[in-house]
Amino acid sequence: MTTRAVPRVYPALLRAAWGSAVAYRGQVVLWLLTSLFPLIMMAVWLSVVEEAGTAGGFDGPDFVSYYVAAAVTNHFTVAWVSWQWDEDIRTGGLSVKLLKPLDPFHHHAIEQLGKKLLIGAVLLPAVAAAAAVVSSIRYPVGPGTAAVAAVAVVAGFGLNLVMASAFSMLSFWSTQVHNLYQLWWGVGFFLSGWVAPLELFPPTLRRVAVLLPFRSSLGFPVEIVTGRLDGRAIAAGFAVTGAWSAGFLFVYRVLWRRGLRRYEAVGA
Amino acid sequence: MTVEVDGLVKHYRVQRREPGFGASLRGLFARRYHTVPAVDGVSFRIDAGEIVGFLGPNGAGKTTTLKCLAGLLHPTAGRARVLGFTPHERERAFLRQFTLVMGQRNQLLWDLPAMETFLVNQAIYGVPEPQFRAALDELVALLELEPLLDKQVRQLSLGERMRCELAASLLHQPRVLFLDEPTLGLDVTAQATIRDFVRTYSARQGATVLLTSHYMADVTALASRILVIDGGTMRYDGDLRALVERHAPYRLLRLTLDCQVQPADMAAVGDLESADGLAVTLRVPRAATKERAALALSSLPVADVAIEDPSVEDIIRQVFTQR
Repeated sequence: MTTRAVPRVYPALLRAAWGSAVAYRGQVVLWLLTSLFPLIMMAVWLSVVEEAGTAGGFDGPDFVSYYVAAAVTNHFTVAWVSWQWDEDIRTGGLSVKLLKPLDPFHHHAIEQLGKKLLIGAVLLPAVAAAAAVVSSIRYPVGPGTAAVAAVAVVAGFGLNLVMASAFSMLSFWSTQVHNLYQLWWGVGFFLSGWVAPLELFPPTLRRVAVLLPFRSSLGFPVEIVTGRLDGRAIAAGFAVTGAWSAGFLFVYRVLWRRGLRRYEAVGA
Repeated sequence: MTVEVDGLVKHYRVQRREPGFGASLRGLFARRYHTVPAVDGVSFRIDAGEIVGFLGPNGAGKTTTLKCLAGLLHPTAGRARVLGFTPHERERAFLRQFTLVMGQRNQLLWDLPAMETFLVNQAIYGVPEPQFRAALDELVALLELEPLLDKQVRQLSLGERMRCELAASLLHQPRVLFLDEPTLGLDVTAQATIRDFVRTYSARQGATVLLTSHYMADVTALASRILVIDGGTMRYDGDLRALVERHAPYRLLRLTLDCQVQPADMAAVGDLESADGLAVTLRVPRAATKERAALALSSLPVADVAIEDPSVEDIIRQVFTQR
């Protein structure tokens, strides 16, 4: 499918993805719970600052604001597509998608978007209501910076999507790719800003972490919306996100073409 | 020429593993593979508008050939061209002009009504609204889909799902249909519906059809030409009638007798194929069918007579066993 034609397809596919997501309403509760995982780390840090007053310059409200934003950001940036790619390639489910004039990448992307729309419809009003009544949730940025943070969230999702898809292409050669990707994300869990804001990291580790792809999908958008980055740091963050996205997209395309030669379309 | 296949070869590399814990441990360090020649030098051509039956036992190479023609598999060697395209290059113009319907897999969105899949396909194939509505109306009428359109796909029966699957596959009005076991698991009525539909669709659209099926009735009802493949190589390519004449140069004379007759008394009419009480089946030379039928009527106490060709299943079985 030509690049120009892809946006025309998205509304119809998105409507179907939304419909599929709604069909499993019970899952919404589970997805919501996983979206709230960062709040567990928030509780840990709050217990730390309760005794020490501050940690690395973060007080209680700073941690609350950081992790509430992290919960929302994580929901919108996470891309659980590796297991789908893996299953499609191993079981031959990819065949049905390959027959159509649309790169299967878009099928996976849209399915994720459908789920995000559904959870977002519940999560965003809930967080907005919480922010209105809980004084310690504070985002000292204007609408412009908030919009930039939203763009960073979209970019983070895009990066996660191409990163997971690039890894998944190894499924043409191995059956353990999903586990490999989990391992990769084990590293990312630590360096993305989940465990602690990167500002609390030792300087050397922080300098490395900001150059890796993991921060783009969590710490970077959260740092923007909590007002912790200046224009230069924001530009650098987008440059890192863009570079990794381009790199993983390239790897995805190369492995996709080579992998298709090995595809055996089993099971049908 | 719509489909051109020259010396098509597809080999699979298959891991060999013995059962048991020890074997699985050994497999961690040293894996053994062997090559399976699923398709081994197949060549054929199909003209526009032809309906061709593709026959062969399980594992003969039918589905692998279809997958090569649909661009799902890269051939190991040889050449396949469909509508002038090399299938595995997956050019958009090619993907828009053909469909592959697989009886064992479907594209329908499981949790949504079939109509949602139709709308998604409209968008993916870029079918303009008037053309989409016309095609949909025709498919709904031919496949009797009206009551199914707003039912969740997972609540449809197998036959209903296959009818919806066919509609989803044909909304973009492909010029070439590869049908891989489209009636698999369906009851007799549903099979007949699918057969009638394929015939009508091909006639209306001038579509080329290559059909595999384990149900011989599908092939005899639709295809005048058949390809027979076995062990990855082509065993027969030609007219179904010629195949019958070549491998069954006889016909069956089914007699209902008034009283018992000794086999020796029937020998002049034909070879005894089977006897069940007063119902007797004799095998007679195809070229002398009329004369032998007349002889039976004049020399035997015949109450009723019928002349039949041997079943195509029997003939195909014969082709496969003549390796």
